[in-house]
This record gives sequence, C-alpha cells and structure tokens, in this order.
Amino acid sequence: MEPESRETDAAPGRLHVAFVGKGGAGKSAIAGTFARLLARSGEPVVVLDSDPMPGLALSLGLPVDDRGIPDEVVVERADGEDGPRFRLRPGLSAHDAVERYAVRAPDGVRFLQIGKLRGHVSSIVRSQHAFHQIKEELPRDRWHMIGDLPGGTRQPFLGWAGFADAIIVVVEASAKGILSGRRLAKLAGAVVDDDRVFAVASKTRAPGDAELVGERTGLTVVGEIPDDPALADAERRGVAPLDGAADGPGVRGIQSLLQSLQGVLV
Amino acid sequence: MKIAVVGKGGAGKTTTSAVIARLLARQGRAVVALDGDTNPNLGLSLGVGFDETERAVAMRQALDDDATDDDHAPGWDELLDRFGSDGPDGVRYAVVSQIENPEPGCP
Repeated sequence: MEPESRETDAAPGRLHVAFVGKGGAGKSAIAGTFARLLARSGEPVVVLDSDPMPGLALSLGLPVDDRGIPDEVVVERADGEDGPRFRLRPGLSAHDAVERYAVRAPDGVRFLQIGKLRGHVSSIVRSQHAFHQIKEELPRDRWHMIGDLPGGTRQPFLGWAGFADAIIVVVEASAKGILSGRRLAKLAGAVVDDDRVFAVASKTRAPGDAELVGERTGLTVVGEIPDDPALADAERRGVAPLDGAADGPGVRGIQSLLQSLQGVLV
Repeated sequence: MKIAVVGKGGAGKTTTSAVIARLLARQGRAVVALDGDTNPNLGLSLGVGFDETERAVAMRQALDDDATDDDHAPGWDELLDRFGSDGPDGVRYAVVSQIENPEPGCP
C-alpha cells in the first residue's frame, strides 16, 4: 500500500525513486545511467543530487560542476511566514527553477545539485533550502524524479528521500555490502512503506549473488548489475557508462532494472 | 602511534585500517582499533565476524539510547572495557561512532 500522503498526488507513468547505498556500491553509476535511459522516452527527468561527492556528474556524462541554485533567486522568508528560513523568490516555481538552474545532461536529463561545499558552510545554505523546496513542490505528475543520496548509512541522509515512492538500496554482494544493506533497509523502511524498499544487487560475480543479497537484506531484489570490467574502466576514466560501456552487461542490467521498476511501480 | 584513515566510500579505508592494526599487533604492540565510521564495518575486516560486528554496533547504539541528560559521557577506558572485544592477533576492537547523530545544517 502506498503511504497516505502520496495517494492523492501519485502520478501514473512517472517514477519517483531514490538510490541509497554504501560508498562505492555503484549508486551514482546506476542512478545516472538509469536517468539517461529513462529520459530517452522523451519524458522529463530530473536527477536530484544530494551526494556531496561529485561522482554523479561524471556518470551522467557531464564535467564536474558543483553549481547549486543561485543565491540571487533564494530569499529569506518574511517575518511571521511559516516555513524554513530561505525559499525560492516569490513567482519562481519549482518547475521553473529546474528549467532554469538544473544543468542539461545528455539525453535531456535535468541535473539539479543540492549546492556542495567548497567554501564556508554559510555559502550553500540558500541553495540547500531551495533544493529541499524544489523536491517537495515539483509537479509529480509531470516529472520523473531520480534521487542520488549521499553514500553511507547515516539516518539523516534518508530525509532527502522524502519525495520518493520507492527507495532502492544498492548492495554489493560482499559481507560489508550486505551489512550496510541491512542497515539501510531498516532506515529506508522509516521513510516509505516496507514493500516500497527494494534492493539492487551490484557488481555481482557469481551465480547466487543476487539471491544472497535478497536473503540477507530481506529485500525484494529488483535488479542485478553484473560486475563489468568495461563499466569499471569507464568509471576509472571519468566517462559515463552509457558513453564508454553502453553494450556491456552493466548497462544491460540497469536497463532491465528500469523495466522491472516500471513494472512494479507504474 | 595514533593513525586515522579517511577516504571516499569504497576506496579501502576499512580494509587498510584493519590490516595495519593486525600487522602492528603481530609486532607485539598493544593495538586499539576504533571504528568511527557511521557505517561501521571494521569488525568484518579485522576478522571478528558478521554477528560480532553487528553486536558491537548494537552495543554502541544502546549507549546512546540509554543515555539521559544526567549521564556523563563515558571515557575511552570505560568504552573499551565495557564495549570493546578482543579480535584476532590481540587487537582490541570497539565501535565508537555515533550512528544516528543528526546532521547539523540540513534543512
């Protein structure tokens, strides 16, 4: 059953999913490739990047660019007005903010970054507030929304997945991967219903790896991305999987994941 | 000698730390391996096993859950005595990270 808050605005045909996982599990490579494959349908896709590490830009096929939402379009809330301290300036909708300030990535993906730390923390506060507002207010019946969350298992990170109808835990079939996957499964279950938390078995090397991930995390495995030397090599060179390893088993696995999720969620 | 190991996720922090700790212990030194990662997997790389790693994390978590405002924070020695365990090669292992520490500054 869908969480109640989503029942009225759930959009048929649109995916709203967030990827989480241990650092290095393959979240960004999968999220970036997934978004590009989805965007080839011609439907609008925004990638919401709240990971402070720069990997996702490369996986999309963009140069690393930490730009967030410009300070000029984020204003302080008036005294007496409810809500967080900063918001998009009046008249600027979440949809318009994405059209104007998200970076255009290959295949038409819009790439929106939270605002990443380069200088003092105060320099990104406005952008972070605006990012939060956009993911809450973007018209869900119009946009596919794909989230790439920070690596690791810190509970606050899951707050960035609040927009999602489903959370995908990327799990490498190793002892550390599985231990991390179990922690994330528990945390994700507090954000969406338990039957909307799924696992993707990542970098699988042996028959049975995906089953092992399912058994040990207790999650339904909706995808298996085999270990793919060509994909790993593209990552090493800073080339997007779709531009450097398009015909390999890794990208084929992500394509199947997309079809499988569309079957389950749409 | 006090060493801290940092790096991007998946880079090999945990594996490197565990191997250094065990090699030092084999030289006969007293070694404490502290897992300060918010995703604490050091026990696996030290070789204490899956269940013992989950148990060590749960014990560290219980320390936060039981705490009241009146409690003083436990010192290092107390943490190691009460919550540490003995790993291979005599490495004393404990989880010290605050796993559910709220992130300041996030809207």
